[in-house]
Amino acid sequence: MEIPYIVTPRKDTGLFNSKIAIWLFLASEVMLFGGFFSAYIFLRLGADFPWPERTLPVLPGLINTFVLIFSSVTVVFAWAALKMRQWGKFQIFMSITIACSAVFMVLKGIEYNVKFHHQAVRLPDYTVVEGHLGYKLKDGVKLEHGQQPADEQIARNAKGKKLEENIINFEVAEVSFNTLRFERSWVEAMMARAMEKGATIKLAEKITLQTAPGESVSFDAGSALGLDLLASIRKAHLAARENNSAVRTDNLREQWTKAHAANPGKRDWELADQVFIDTAAIADKLMPEQPAVSFKVEPATTFQYRPRDLKEAAESGTLRDGTALKGKLLESPMVFHYVDAIDFRHLVMKAEEKGVDPKVAIENSWLLKENPALKQIWDKQQVALAQLTAELGAKGKVPTAKDNYRIGWQEMAYYSVTKIEDVKITPKKYSMPKAKEELNEEFFGPDYALRELAPHPDGKHFGAFPHLSLPREQVQFASKFAPAWNTYYAVYFTMTGLHGLHVIGGALVLAYYLFFGKKMYLSNPEWLANRVEIGGLFWHFVDLVWIFLFPILYLM
Amino acid sequence: MADSPEALQKSLRLYKLIGGVLFVGTVVTVMVATIPWLDFGDHGFDAIDMIIGLLIATVKATLVAAIFMHLNHEKRLIYWLFGFGFVAAFFLVALIALAKWDPIHYNGFGNGIPGSEKNVRW
Repeated sequence: MEIPYIVTPRKDTGLFNSKIAIWLFLASEVMLFGGFFSAYIFLRLGADFPWPERTLPVLPGLINTFVLIFSSVTVVFAWAALKMRQWGKFQIFMSITIACSAVFMVLKGIEYNVKFHHQAVRLPDYTVVEGHLGYKLKDGVKLEHGQQPADEQIARNAKGKKLEENIINFEVAEVSFNTLRFERSWVEAMMARAMEKGATIKLAEKITLQTAPGESVSFDAGSALGLDLLASIRKAHLAARENNSAVRTDNLREQWTKAHAANPGKRDWELADQVFIDTAAIADKLMPEQPAVSFKVEPATTFQYRPRDLKEAAESGTLRDGTALKGKLLESPMVFHYVDAIDFRHLVMKAEEKGVDPKVAIENSWLLKENPALKQIWDKQQVALAQLTAELGAKGKVPTAKDNYRIGWQEMAYYSVTKIEDVKITPKKYSMPKAKEELNEEFFGPDYALRELAPHPDGKHFGAFPHLSLPREQVQFASKFAPAWNTYYAVYFTMTGLHGLHVIGGALVLAYYLFFGKKMYLSNPEWLANRVEIGGLFWHFVDLVWIFLFPILYLM
Repeated sequence: MADSPEALQKSLRLYKLIGGVLFVGTVVTVMVATIPWLDFGDHGFDAIDMIIGLLIATVKATLVAAIFMHLNHEKRLIYWLFGFGFVAAFFLVALIALAKWDPIHYNGFGNGIPGSEKNVRW
């Protein structure tokens, strides 16, 4: 049976069916993206932190816009070629369209990748530091200044992954595993590390558990930690839990029956506050449970954890699988190999709420007090800011909060190689002085290898971006430039990600027509033309959404 | 909808032209956002920059919708169907706005949070 009205228009609507269908679908897509756009607007208007305006590099987004507009033109040419029965031209234009979508996704992938490798941290006084963490090098490796480590010089963990210099060192004297939730690989790693350091992990106290009424199993104090030991304890604990819940349920059922018998005619809710489990009666039927098992580590050994796995305090810590550690938190700095931006806007917001002068608050911040290199850069910023204020003041304008309180990587690269007496803003540019950006830096961010060799004006140092070792107490919240960092990035990745999925979906549909359309072209070319038109309409909608996404996320 | 080859050829010229206009529009958007002497209103990003940016984006979107998506000579039914999406989106945005702003109980746009006593008019 042939599908009706795929070519011939219906009498009542005057259109072939898929046209109505696609416009209905596009209306629903307007709702979908409209919801996200309005969420962005409300989040931005109601934000209680300085919104990251114009922090994304514009060039990749701009090229993506050109690519999508171009592909919109070629998809319409492809449809026109089909209408004029020019199969060859259709193939060419459709291939270009799909190639454009591939270029779009590749550029997007590069943008995402650069963001996911860029580190940000907020200090307790709301200063923000951005940059790149170093990688731990193998023991004994020493590098010359400006030398990038070779792949073989970087230490790897058991799974072969590089380790960022953001590790928590915890000296463990006692460890207590959650019987049900302990993570096997972490227990094994702990045992391996203890063996390496010549320490033993032994059961702290004797444990006796009932496996069935009348039967019991016990583990002596001093038994070595092992996965099978934990597994047996877990098995016994689960059996005990099952037994205990059954005992309690039976008893409660009994109590209800008694209550109903003693109070005929009364409803459940009238009796509810009088009915309890008779704990004395069931006490001897309950089996002992063991929700946590304690081990002693002798001698106390230092273990290393990723910050995301361990919630640490001075003398105790909890891992994500419920393991409790007792001991001592050792020095666990977060080491920035390159600091490429410092941002005081949030600190200023908090200071202004309290009525404190922003400049005073900044000069008293931990970052500037403890790091002379960054203080020098801040002083140079003040010189440039005074010049910019004067230039803008002549036009009746004032510098923005970003000019006042944020030092981005281009500014930092400029200040690092300029003496304070030579700091000068470029006339008529109305912005803070910036180092010139290379083309690859527009896509991949600062070229650290290149800028590491920049000579300092003091003649003794090299490197455009300062090194910073942040003590663990100064790390309030750390994240890569990922959805976790702030609302803006969460919305950015959500919206561009959803849009990217639409691009992939549309490209798949168009690719289907390109690669499998020949047969349809030979039998019913007008139908293929209509289907390509519908696919093209979806493609134009995707372009439309990007036309709004680009200015809103990148330029505003 | 253009069906004859000559009409299609004319349309193709129009598509190329509109494509060029869209390219130029994109460049204009970036220039207005980044070049300092094209910065209207206050220095940096402010309300007027947002209005200009969104205005240019709306013009570009209208061109894509009208010409690439053939809406300029489409049946009225399609206008109703597609337009309904925007009407529904408007109500969606209005509902979210009312979750934050409560003009019934607060003068002007109070922030709708119980306990913040400014502008209350019960």
